[in-house]
Amino acid sequence: MPLFKSRTAFQLARNARAFLYLDTGVVRGEAPPTPEAMGEAQARLREQLQEARRALANRDHRISGLERELGGHTVGAENIAWIFGTVRTGSTWLASMMRDGHNHAMWNEPRVGELFGTFYESTAHRRDNENFVLGTHRKLTWLKSVRNFVLDAASARFPRFARDGLLVIKEPSGSIGAPILMEALPESAMLLLVRDPRDIVASALDAAREGSWAYELRGTKRREKQGLLGAADAPLDDFTGKSQDEVVRDQAAMYLRYVGNSRKAFEAHDGRKVLVRYEDLRADTLGTMKRIYSELEIEVDGDDLARIVREHSWENIPEEEKGEGKFYRKGASGAWKDDLTPDQVKVVEEITGPLLTEFYPDGGV
Amino acid sequence: MPVYRQNVLFEVARGIKAFLNFEAGLTRGPAPGEGDGPGLAEARRRLEAKNRQIAQLEEKLRKGRSGAAVGDLKPENVVWMFGTARVGSTWLGSMMDEPTGHTMWHEPLIGALFGGFYYGRGAHRGGKHGILGGPADKRSRAIRAFILASAHEKFPEVKGDGYLIVKEPNGSNGAPLLAQALPESRMIFLVRDPRDVVSSNLSGKSEGGWTAEAFKRGRRKGAPPPTDPQAIVRQGAKKYLEFIGRSKEAFDAHQGPKILVRYEELRADTLGTMKRIYSELGMKVDEGEVARAVEKHSWENIPEENKGEGKFYRKATPGGWSEDLTPEQVEVVEEITAPLLKEFYPEKQPSRTGV
Repeated sequence: MPLFKSRTAFQLARNARAFLYLDTGVVRGEAPPTPEAMGEAQARLREQLQEARRALANRDHRISGLERELGGHTVGAENIAWIFGTVRTGSTWLASMMRDGHNHAMWNEPRVGELFGTFYESTAHRRDNENFVLGTHRKLTWLKSVRNFVLDAASARFPRFARDGLLVIKEPSGSIGAPILMEALPESAMLLLVRDPRDIVASALDAAREGSWAYELRGTKRREKQGLLGAADAPLDDFTGKSQDEVVRDQAAMYLRYVGNSRKAFEAHDGRKVLVRYEDLRADTLGTMKRIYSELEIEVDGDDLARIVREHSWENIPEEEKGEGKFYRKGASGAWKDDLTPDQVKVVEEITGPLLTEFYPDGGV
Repeated sequence: MPVYRQNVLFEVARGIKAFLNFEAGLTRGPAPGEGDGPGLAEARRRLEAKNRQIAQLEEKLRKGRSGAAVGDLKPENVVWMFGTARVGSTWLGSMMDEPTGHTMWHEPLIGALFGGFYYGRGAHRGGKHGILGGPADKRSRAIRAFILASAHEKFPEVKGDGYLIVKEPNGSNGAPLLAQALPESRMIFLVRDPRDVVSSNLSGKSEGGWTAEAFKRGRRKGAPPPTDPQAIVRQGAKKYLEFIGRSKEAFDAHQGPKILVRYEELRADTLGTMKRIYSELGMKVDEGEVARAVEKHSWENIPEENKGEGKFYRKATPGGWSEDLTPEQVEVVEEITAPLLKEFYPEKQPSRTGV
């Protein structure tokens, strides 16, 4: 009969928790376990959990292989490495380096995550409807359909894919659907690529200027020419007619949504995964690339990797393709300090607060 | 790494012990007492499920069946019902759900999934990499597999000569993609005078209407409809143009059995129109069952308290728009839906001269 019991724990920083445990009372027989004893029991549980997760990963590989044999897919779920995060995180650079590895291929922004993710998020009110194609009660079955849909499409796109190859699917714009895709293809590897949201918004502001690459590519006029619907459906990176402050707010909201969903998928994913910060990739590209392959358990030739990193270095991008208003802008971390006003910084930090704290606990560059 | 730890235990009387456990500190990972128990149970449950899945797959492989098999639903027995909301699709669908071996799938929204992406956002269409970009046959193959797998999972009982009627008014913005994916399927294109459609829409979304009430009471979520009548009318007319327009595009291109049905004809001669539908689509059906379905779902058999202004079952009267819409609202609808109004209701031109 404990007289008083209190257990408090809270997150201080990423992976660091503070706790306070107090248990006092009077008993007949055995006293309750001490926190130390509980810690040992927990350690045993964690070991068992690790073992169960390893067994799950083995089963996933077996399932993937069987399905490939049955369905005639050239690309199996275990051959895929997804790159999620959001736009302007350096995913083109990272994916291009990975593409050039031996037996590696890259699928550049199929937007399959956008197809399923945007629809799923916009139909939350329908999920309890038993007829709804992505309804909650049928989730296991429609996840299977999503899985087949991805593997069918990937196999059609890469019909001569090597059996032990790696298909890197660069999907920053489809990151909203990361939770669905990773749940549907659990044996795939996942890269969560993040970058300081202030730098991303600064890059977006540059792209939002009339005449810039994104303004031309995604502008309303271009969309109308393509026969797409009116402005009500315009994507957040259609900058037409938006003020700078609107662009800042939209882009920060987009970061929260896309990186937030990617993070959710990353946390839930039991398989191979790695978190990569753009800033680390810039500071030590070869070292970070080695870490990526090591954590994803993909064998790669060290000399090959060094050559690929050199070939894709910022210095090797022709000067005329770099600069303000261009796709390759600065390639620098922390440039937001020069590019954003204090008010704009405040807006971004307010909107993306939880993610900024988690991924940049030191306050960023 | 506990910062402070104190565990005290002493006997206060025979067989009775007093204890004090106190611990405070910082840790990586869970704090004492924050167990992984539920995580382990969940992992073990998933492991069992995966073992079963492996056994099933191995069994399939032994039997030599294709993993892509989607059951016994015949693609030609999928009957699409396209159009838009408020054209009487619930009524027609309910009647078609009645005959033995005929099953209705009520608004799965598969068309909205693919159509909203392809025709709405569509940024991918410029590039060969897009999931729905590139050659149409590859796109159709992927969508086909998705539809058939979803249908089979939902209705495993529909097989052999059974028909699956997919009532998809709110997914008609993807009608061309669905029809291309299943070229052998059957198609019903259900249209209604856009002025009546918008009028019905306006009634439901106005204060006290069934749609507005559903939002108010939390039965419907998402962005609530506009409250300004002019905005409702404009939005309704635009939706009509988009959804009926896509349905027409699909209907014109479809090579399989198909039929255009006007709501007004269905109201005027329900049994006759139903017979025509089954005949033109080449669907086997017992005529007695059709007659009973028509009777069961007749307007007269809907309880009086379920009918009336602002309710789901409102008037069922073609031409009611001339009493319900203002001349300005009629003008807005006619202007926005002009090409479709002209094509499907040429006898009802020009505007505002009655029905």
